[in-house]
Amino acid sequence: MKRKWISFIILVVVIPLILIIGATLLEDRKYNLISLIVVALACVPFFMQFERRKPHAREIMVIAVMSAISIAGRVAFMWVPAFKPVTAITAITGFKMGPEAGFLTGAVSAVVSNMLFGQGPWTPFQMFTWGMIGYIAGWLGKTTWMETKIGLILYGIVAGILFSCVMDIWTVISYDGEFSWLRYLQAAGTALPFTITYAVSNVIFLLLLTKPIGEKLTRIQIKYGLIGNQKAY
Amino acid sequence: MHPVHLLHPFVLCLFFATIIGLTMFSMHPVLLVLSLIGAICVNLTIDRSRFFQALKWFLPFCIIAALINPLITHDGEKVLLYVNYQPITVEAIAYGIAMSTLILAVMLWCMALNQLMTTDQFIYLFGALSPAVALLISVTMRLVPRFKYQLQLIMTAQKAIGRDPRAGSVWQRIKRAVQVISILITWALENAIESADSMKARGYGLSGRTTFSIFTFTKRDGWLLAVIVVLLSVQILGHWQQIATFDYYPTFQALPITLYTVMFYSSFFVLALLPTILYVQEGLKWRLLTSKISASVIHSATDKR
Repeated sequence: MKRKWISFIILVVVIPLILIIGATLLEDRKYNLISLIVVALACVPFFMQFERRKPHAREIMVIAVMSAISIAGRVAFMWVPAFKPVTAITAITGFKMGPEAGFLTGAVSAVVSNMLFGQGPWTPFQMFTWGMIGYIAGWLGKTTWMETKIGLILYGIVAGILFSCVMDIWTVISYDGEFSWLRYLQAAGTALPFTITYAVSNVIFLLLLTKPIGEKLTRIQIKYGLIGNQKAY
Repeated sequence: MHPVHLLHPFVLCLFFATIIGLTMFSMHPVLLVLSLIGAICVNLTIDRSRFFQALKWFLPFCIIAALINPLITHDGEKVLLYVNYQPITVEAIAYGIAMSTLILAVMLWCMALNQLMTTDQFIYLFGALSPAVALLISVTMRLVPRFKYQLQLIMTAQKAIGRDPRAGSVWQRIKRAVQVISILITWALENAIESADSMKARGYGLSGRTTFSIFTFTKRDGWLLAVIVVLLSVQILGHWQQIATFDYYPTFQALPITLYTVMFYSSFFVLALLPTILYVQEGLKWRLLTSKISASVIHSATDKR
């Protein structure tokens, strides 16, 4: 109960308060720090919700396995340059196990891969973006859209562009301390090859992996009665 | 062992959050230079060769970042020259250099943070926020090397039956690698359920269970916490009084040197040098102690004769 209130207060009081302080007191000029704090705080309610539910050991293990595979998957694809299965595996976990598991898989993948490659101010941004990709996938998984190939292709492209665009926002505000559309378009233009690679690799991984991984996740949920997507039963 | 690494994780994290936050918060040239000096000093005390190696990557990036600004921004009064009828101004160049300094300082502080704060400290701090997520992170940390090892096994086995994921056309490689991941997941999920049952059998989730942590909050941590809080308050006060704002456009603002501003700068400098001070203090203490030991050894040795 206490934790529920904390996440409520963060969402309704603290984040708007920081935005107002940023806009008025600091004359709207400290985008870098304000956005960093807001993005980090935005992750907290998700963690609190997970904590409050008192998750079973089996749920924790399955989410940890999916995050670890998305990180270790980078090793499996080392010889195909700029291909990362992280987004696709996060999205598939979301499709099959619901929004919460999707968010946690994405956020934990970001934290742990940064533990291996170096933490920085970009960690909260990656946590939030990958988390949101998993979260949205979780809601889409409740519909039948993601069972079609066109749905998967569209989601892969959108997720690739979303990830790239949010990270470009971070590039611009970390460089300038403030946001300008001119700078943003320049950054997005320079990052275009990466955006395309992200989108293409997402689509390929989603098309190839959704069926085998999805079947395995569904199977394990039925076999051991995990709480997740109710369609599995 | 660096003395900063031995601090309580909370103090360690608060220090880095404070210094990185304050550095990102201000474009004031004096504060930026002081922060950069602090960051360079602490990196020199941690690992010299690594620092110089990182500079090889960071410096070209920062020089490019500094050069881009005057080409984009044409504000400012002191015009140096015209390129394509567009003015290149001193102010824009200075602003570009300031931005590069900011980025370089933040990157160097992050590099120091990554070396001084270990995974167990990070997980301990995360556990204060949410024990379940901290457990999730630490389990994932453990699984990554295990899966890497298992991937090697699977790939060797696949290679033996003529499906080497490293050979063939790009499309074949991707398909085979997907196959490898699929095999890994089957193995990993069944294994995970077993580990989960084992966790449950050992009492995971029962009430009254605590988590072990090796960190104790010592007197020294308390002192440092107080110092950081006081210095941070001075900084916030200074920002409140608008000392830390500096306008580059339309032209440079004057930098008044008064008792108040000097105190403000020096308190920031002390904060930025805090880890270096700790390192030097530890070194001096060590030398003092060893000199005492050797002196007493000589003394007792002469006594015996």
